[in-house]
Amino acid sequence: MIPFVTGVRVIAGLELRQRIRGVAWWVLLGVFGLLALVVTLIVLWGVGGLTDGYRSDPVGNAVFSTIVYFVLLLGTLVAPALSGNAINGDREAGTLATTQVTLVSTTQLVIGKFLASWISTLAFLVITAPLLILSLAIGGTTPGMVAVSLLVLAIELGVIAAIGTGLSGLVRRPLFSVAITYLVVAMLSLGTLISFGLGTLVAQEKYEYRGASYIYDDSTGNSECVVDDTTTTSTRARPDYVWWMLAANPYVVMADAVPTRYGSGDDPNDLFGFLKLTVRQLQKAPEPIEQQDPCNYTSDRYPSGREVIDSTVPSWFVGLAIHLGLAALALFGAVRATRAPAHRLAAGSRIA
Amino acid sequence: MSSPYERGWVPPQQPASSTPAPGAPAPGPGVPVAAVAGVGPAAAAATPPLPLSPGEPGEPGIVVEHVGRAFGSVHAVVDASMVAPMGRVTGLIGPNGSGKTTLMLMLASLLAPDRGSIRIAGHDPVADPAAVRRLLGWMPDQLGSWATLSARTALTQTGRLYGLHKLQAAHRAAELIHLVDLGELADRPSRVLSRGQKQRLSLARALVHDPAVLLLDEPASGLDPAARVALRRTVRRLADEGRAVLVSSHVLAELDEMADTAVYLERGVTADAARIAATRVSERAWRIRTADLARDSDRLREALFRAGIPWERIEADAGGILVPVAGEARAAELLTRLVGEGIAISAFAPAVGELEHTFLDLSSGGGPA
Ligand SMILES: Nc1ncnc2c1ncn2[C@@H]1O[C@H](COP(=O)(O)OP(=O)(O)OP(=O)(O)O)[C@@H](O)[C@H]1O
Ligand SMILES: [Mg+2]
Repeated sequence: MIPFVTGVRVIAGLELRQRIRGVAWWVLLGVFGLLALVVTLIVLWGVGGLTDGYRSDPVGNAVFSTIVYFVLLLGTLVAPALSGNAINGDREAGTLATTQVTLVSTTQLVIGKFLASWISTLAFLVITAPLLILSLAIGGTTPGMVAVSLLVLAIELGVIAAIGTGLSGLVRRPLFSVAITYLVVAMLSLGTLISFGLGTLVAQEKYEYRGASYIYDDSTGNSECVVDDTTTTSTRARPDYVWWMLAANPYVVMADAVPTRYGSGDDPNDLFGFLKLTVRQLQKAPEPIEQQDPCNYTSDRYPSGREVIDSTVPSWFVGLAIHLGLAALALFGAVRATRAPAHRLAAGSRIA
Repeated sequence: MSSPYERGWVPPQQPASSTPAPGAPAPGPGVPVAAVAGVGPAAAAATPPLPLSPGEPGEPGIVVEHVGRAFGSVHAVVDASMVAPMGRVTGLIGPNGSGKTTLMLMLASLLAPDRGSIRIAGHDPVADPAAVRRLLGWMPDQLGSWATLSARTALTQTGRLYGLHKLQAAHRAAELIHLVDLGELADRPSRVLSRGQKQRLSLARALVHDPAVLLLDEPASGLDPAARVALRRTVRRLADEGRAVLVSSHVLAELDEMADTAVYLERGVTADAARIAATRVSERAWRIRTADLARDSDRLREALFRAGIPWERIEADAGGILVPVAGEARAAELLTRLVGEGIAISAFAPAVGELEHTFLDLSSGGGPA
């Protein structure tokens, strides 16, 4: 066997050279860069236009978070196409077997291909570097925010690359493995949202309350609040029972992991913070009914964003662990399925 | 001009030698390959051990014992047993779908046999694939090449995958490009190569790590006559340097000139020695030609008739008179008689090649035993 790193590097180099780094990829990268530029300008104009004049709070973090989310969106859309045929595409082209008879091990092969597609997806982050630097220059970002969000972004793109590479080893036809990778991305990004939505429908709660009415007393000329004798039954959603379904959403993982920067009024003022606050608020149970006296209704002041976030639990590590677990499982499965000498072959597939 | 850099990547178990290999890197086709003619095992043994070609001639490079492999309900290889000695070219012959490629995949450590045992230079491809891969070069029948990479890059990178350093791999690639005569095409993307050129690239790739055992799956398909001659010389030379070479081909005349021995595979079963021996003495057509066939034709036919060949079985084709003869001894006897009668024989040879005769005879002689 050849040294692990050497094998991985040669395979990744081959993969980058011959599969990914074609003209189409450069074009895609260019188009993506332009789109990111347009988005940045719009955000700058929007945020700046709204706050100019009466607010001195810098808006760099709003711009930064938008670009990062944009890269996450586009990256998860491109990564399946770049990784989803890494192994079975080689099999179809007849180059897998000739690679496998060399001294490179199946693990090196799979890891090398995974790294290549990860690197080629990260290029989409790299090309937005000037825009990110611009947002840093505007001010408003914190080192923790920058470091954590970029790290999570890189990991999430790697997860998709790993799932794509893994599925390309597990599924025989490139078309299907790419499609299944897209389904996984959709399941994580949209499926979690949908299941949360459905979950809130299921997790409804019946509750009873008493109404109150004011009775006018002729003798005193005053109205008096009287609690009704009968109770009314109604239902209300309990998102606090199902909020955890959102934990595996990559956008939520990102938002939840990033240390929030609070603007004026202790409320977040960037996308990371908005999303984090939205998801955290779902954890809050509604106020208990019994304690509400309809005649003495005292409305608390709404808690600030900081108070909500500080009083709820983070979930990003659960989501991240699920993602990493899926990625590892896919890669492990691919190594098993492509191991040579092969004992079992997928029906109808030839080795060469 | 045995390249000094070769020494650096000798597999550890083989003693490195700085002695230049006789005629080692053949500079492409068309070069007189002195080693080919007359250099049998004895001559090869007399030369000092070659740097990269282990194995005494005669020592088995490939040993296959009762190997079988099924794909679901398709029994591709049923019971294959064979030996391919070092220093020899062994032909692997069989009709389409008889399991040749499947057998080669098992030898190449890509496919695990269901049963039976395989040894490549003493190593088991299932238990120790790494050792086998170090020693074995495989040229697949399906041509796969990295489409956007040039032949040179492909060979260099393959060298890297065999553990060569960058510089060594680049040197080796240059050497192989020369060997298979890809010269000016070496730096174009391999997508533009013709089938025959891809074939040569594929052969070069199988040779990157200078393997002791070579598996060539239909290497001649798609090659022009000149390239075939070059391939034949290359294969002969590779074997004469001490490698075991297993070649499958449908062009039996081609194999006839190249292979020392042959293995016949029919519906996944290798023909045993007894059946092959039987075909040696079975009847086959011999072609006889005289200096002036038009004039001698009648005399020749009469002489053949007197020698005991039924009149109606004496046929003629464009190349001469065809007669059925059973075995070499009978042929020699017949020739002596004809010469004795004063007929000016100019050619007297089997009309079909040795392998083709055996192949056809085995195929027609019913299914596997
Ligand atoms: N992966 C596979 N799955 C199912 N059947 C297979 C597979 N590979 C080979 N076969 C079958 O096994 C048999 C032997 O195939 P193989 O490719 O070894 O033949 P071959 O001798 O190389 O033929 P050819 O001379 O045409 O190259 C064929 O009937 C083929 O259809
Ligand atoms: Mg075949």
